[in-house]
Amino acid sequence: MRKRPRLIPLSRFSRERKGPAKREGEGLYRRLRKTLTSHRFAAGPSSPAKGGRGGAALLLGFVLLLAGCGQGDGRTHLYLQRFFGECGAEFEASIDVARAEGECGIMTSMINRFNAQNPDIRVDVNVVAWPGYPQLTAQMAARDPPDLVTMHAGVISDYAAKGLLEPVEPYLDRAGIKADGFTEASRLGVTMEGRIYGLPWDTHGGLFHVNTALFAKAGLMRGGKPVLPNSAEELIAQARQFQARTGKPYLIQSNVADPAYAARNQYTYMMAQGASVFPDSRHIRLDTPEGRRVAAFFRRINEERLGTLNMDTPAAIAAFMSGEGGIYPTGTWMIGSFQKEATTPGRPLYGSYAVFPYPRLWGQRVEFVGGHAWAVPARERSAKQKEAIARFFRFMAAHNFDWARTGHIPAFKAVLDDPAFKALPHRGDIALLGEIGRPLPSHVRRQSAIEGLVGEEMAAAVTGQKPVERALKDAERRVNELLGELD
Amino acid sequence: MERGRLTPLGWAALILGALIMVTPLLWTILLSLKDNAELVGNSGAALSAPYTLENYGAIFGNNRTMRWLLNSAIVSLGTTAGVLVLASLAGYGFARLDFPFRRTLFVIVLLGLAVPSQAIILPQHQLFAWLHLHNSYPGLILPGLIGPFGVFFMTTYMRGIPRELDEAAKLDGASRWTIFWKVILPLTIPAQSTLAVFTFLGTWNDYWWPLISATHSDMYTLTVGLAAAQMNYAQTSGLGFLMAQAVFASVPIFIVYVVFQKQIVSAMAGTAVR
Repeated sequence: MRKRPRLIPLSRFSRERKGPAKREGEGLYRRLRKTLTSHRFAAGPSSPAKGGRGGAALLLGFVLLLAGCGQGDGRTHLYLQRFFGECGAEFEASIDVARAEGECGIMTSMINRFNAQNPDIRVDVNVVAWPGYPQLTAQMAARDPPDLVTMHAGVISDYAAKGLLEPVEPYLDRAGIKADGFTEASRLGVTMEGRIYGLPWDTHGGLFHVNTALFAKAGLMRGGKPVLPNSAEELIAQARQFQARTGKPYLIQSNVADPAYAARNQYTYMMAQGASVFPDSRHIRLDTPEGRRVAAFFRRINEERLGTLNMDTPAAIAAFMSGEGGIYPTGTWMIGSFQKEATTPGRPLYGSYAVFPYPRLWGQRVEFVGGHAWAVPARERSAKQKEAIARFFRFMAAHNFDWARTGHIPAFKAVLDDPAFKALPHRGDIALLGEIGRPLPSHVRRQSAIEGLVGEEMAAAVTGQKPVERALKDAERRVNELLGELD
Repeated sequence: MERGRLTPLGWAALILGALIMVTPLLWTILLSLKDNAELVGNSGAALSAPYTLENYGAIFGNNRTMRWLLNSAIVSLGTTAGVLVLASLAGYGFARLDFPFRRTLFVIVLLGLAVPSQAIILPQHQLFAWLHLHNSYPGLILPGLIGPFGVFFMTTYMRGIPRELDEAAKLDGASRWTIFWKVILPLTIPAQSTLAVFTFLGTWNDYWWPLISATHSDMYTLTVGLAAAQMNYAQTSGLGFLMAQAVFASVPIFIVYVVFQKQIVSAMAGTAVR
């Protein structure tokens, strides 16, 4: 008679907070085979009915096998969740942070190095699909959040307002990290109602990526540096000159399916004029003289065909790399790719690349920025885990320079002022972003969703699909409705 | 349609249609064989050599890829097996047995077809959290077993099987279970195949539930794992890798289509239900 598999409570299959260490590897198949043999599942007759029972048993065997292993290595485990992708193929064993490249490579190498330098701690990494917030929210709802998580500064307010993040001052104190060592942009990004909710990790924002060869052709180079405008009218004049001399658009723009581009422009130049875009936590104010001025200006650029009109992000990147325009306003994250093009002989951008923060067009020089931070979701933790988090913070702060090689602006003033940082390509030109960068006020929740709404309406305004005033009013209405629905 | 009856115009239309269908697939494969850096500036580079397998190497170099593949296989096969068992039993009940509120219950099952999964995602997630089933195979499989379509499908199919067969078996002394197991069930193999194929494909491609239920990377299914492996801005700076992932994830589905294409075509044509 066939041996029946024992019934096992469903909860036994659950795999709560176990490190991946011993659950994979070559022993898997050996254990599977043993399981199958001991249950005699493999030798079932071939009738459909019996085959179905055998199949179910086989499945159960898999489940039992894969659910049954655990940890217990005496180390303090931290469960870290991050985005930036998976690059285990290249960097799985790397602890040489200085030789790692790209966000994923540097991040992976740093965590590997932390594990190597702290044998009593094991950081188990969970890589999530960008940006990872659906999973994080689900984990929090299931009372099983990670110990450390990468978080955009603009998202911190959503979680912190609901008490889902721990203030991190105790960890910073234990790690010997002073908040006044953060750059202004970074400090503002992680601070909410006077409390700090993450170890700031970088600042990222918009930059003017410049094709210097085309600028030279347009007569817009002085002393080896591109001449950038200092007012809105100057930008128009330079753009006309550029277009007349090169026959190419002055601005390469990703106006299609990239709401962040239009929103970034609107926020930056409204802030520069001193406008209070979010006067309180429930309202946005865009339909103001400052707001209309910015939107009308970018609309004018498009009406005069001084910028590209129908490009999405990949098309805009390809256009800039192919030398099809003078300036591509996009983020810090593209510096690495463009620099690679600029140092590869034969490429259109070879020897022709410079990059700067957004120029001042009105008022003061201020720029809307975001940032990454290490946040600590609220949950019960042992004293050892808390100590491990503090040590992780200390390690990451000490390696902030390595992360700055990605193109992001460092979160620490000391790194920003470090000659080694300034010696990296273009960093001397963009370091200013750490000082002039301003995130949205910390009382603003749903910043990502709001950026989508504002960007969508502003793109419609600047490309001529909607009158400027109507787009501004629509953006205000949609955002205020969203904010009005929050708890 | 008979081959000999196709006119040259018909052939031309078929070839044109086939080309339109296959071009995106070829484009995807070509992109997957190119260096990422080369594609950033110009995706048209996919049309010319050199080609490389480095994007596929990166997929296989990730030591979790095989784990995700195994997870997908377990979840898809488990869900498929469960749906077949439950839908067959329920279908038999609705088609053959008389019990109180049968019609009402069947209508309630049919109403389930009108409820989108997004509408119940929050209570479903909470329920699985209370049961501690997230990050587990049961957690990934159980929601897929709630298949009103399968019940409807099997009920309809079984209703088409003549009742005389049941009566003949009864006369031979067969029990209700024997009739189901030995008479009815073997006759539903075509419907079972069709339901199995659709359930397997739907589960394999599912992204939403595994994304929020499997939050530990060793429990990811292939769709979630491959998405997690993408770096930011993958559509620009990692296009080749992105396409290699798409090709890799499609291979098992492709195999299922090749093996079961007869059943899929008959299901599409509505001939699986008599």
